[in-house]
Amino acid sequence: MSESGPVVEIKGLSYGYGKADAVQDLDLTVKPGRCYGLFGRNGAGKTTTMKCLLNLLRPKSGTVRLFGLDPAQNEVEVKRRLAYVPDYVAFYPWMTVRETLDYLASFRAHWNRVTESELLERFRLEEGQRAGALSKGQRTQLALVGAICPEPELLLLDEPTSGLDPIVRREFIETVIGAYQEGEPGQRTILVSTHLISEFEGLIDEFTIIDRGRNVLSLGADAARERYQKIRARFAAAAPELDFPDALHTRRDRRELEIIANGGTPAILQQLQRLGPESLTSEGLTLEEVFVATLK
Amino acid sequence: MMLWQINYKSGKPVYLQVVDQVKAAAATGAMREGEALPSIRPLAEELRVNRNTVAKAYTELESQGIIETIPGKGCFVKPNNSPLKKDVRRKLLTEEIDHVVVQAHHLQVPPAELVEMLKERVELFESRRQSRDAQPSGERKEH
Repeated sequence: MSESGPVVEIKGLSYGYGKADAVQDLDLTVKPGRCYGLFGRNGAGKTTTMKCLLNLLRPKSGTVRLFGLDPAQNEVEVKRRLAYVPDYVAFYPWMTVRETLDYLASFRAHWNRVTESELLERFRLEEGQRAGALSKGQRTQLALVGAICPEPELLLLDEPTSGLDPIVRREFIETVIGAYQEGEPGQRTILVSTHLISEFEGLIDEFTIIDRGRNVLSLGADAARERYQKIRARFAAAAPELDFPDALHTRRDRRELEIIANGGTPAILQQLQRLGPESLTSEGLTLEEVFVATLK
Repeated sequence: MMLWQINYKSGKPVYLQVVDQVKAAAATGAMREGEALPSIRPLAEELRVNRNTVAKAYTELESQGIIETIPGKGCFVKPNNSPLKKDVRRKLLTEEIDHVVVQAHHLQVPPAELVEMLKERVELFESRRQSRDAQPSGERKEH
């Protein structure tokens, strides 16, 4: 495989716990240097997908490839090149922060000590603190330090910020942007699963929305914000009953009309304009609003 | 010092929002010739956007001749001197004007009123620019 091939490639992935399929026929490709969002509600199949990538679960069917390699066949090679931050982080409680990092570093060929001390200071983590005495936020911060210092080519983040306070969440994302993305752009790829979409809005280049294990939408972030628009019109009399083919949702309330358009906004605006509305506005949807609109 | 803002509801690509803000700041005098832009990492962290987005914006600004990169030093606002030929510059601006003309039609603003409005805006812009120029640098305040 050439170095410019996809970092993550999932084709036709299915996995089931018992009878129900948690993931069904999922396709997903992450190119080098991208920050890719995997969005879904709780139980949509995000963690199952991540676990298949990490060879913690064996796919029922389909293939997963990381750096062009099968994680089941080349587990060591694959894990050497990535780092993973799960939503629930556990460390050996008797180890100190220092011992935990040394322990993590012992599995790695490379460890950036400068980044390590910079991040410990930023997060105000004391090296002598016992891991068992850390708060949930501090444990996540420690896990992030452990994930960034080896400077992996791929960072897998599974619901990394859920259950954290807003300040810690903010610092987490700033750290991913600042410290992780600091390296060679083609060598810094991120796959993040989350339902806290607005937190990651600026970081995400491309995303996939999954629901009940199935791919609902895959799109670039800028393209999504341009394509999905909220159009509002107010009329002097009762709002007309209209049916636009590109309207995802239409709401009428007496004189007002609200349309969520999936593309075709200029055409809809033009048509509405002809009806002489008192006011007519449109705005892009944020990624979180796109998520809600497509799952409604 | 610039106050940056990203609006995810504008429907405009994020990197273009950065590009347009720098262009506006350079045109109004909020950023002056030779002034340094923030480096990519702190700006990306502050805006909480992907570093590649800021890098792409700076590359675009450089190709449009708005800023220049001095290796090892950073990015700086260039003297207002578009590398494009006059007819190309006029053509680019014509496209923007046409867009406004179309909008004016739909918003039922008559042509004479549109011309008047345009004149007002240009005058306002120029007077702001001059009042900035009149103030000694370093004592400027953002309102």
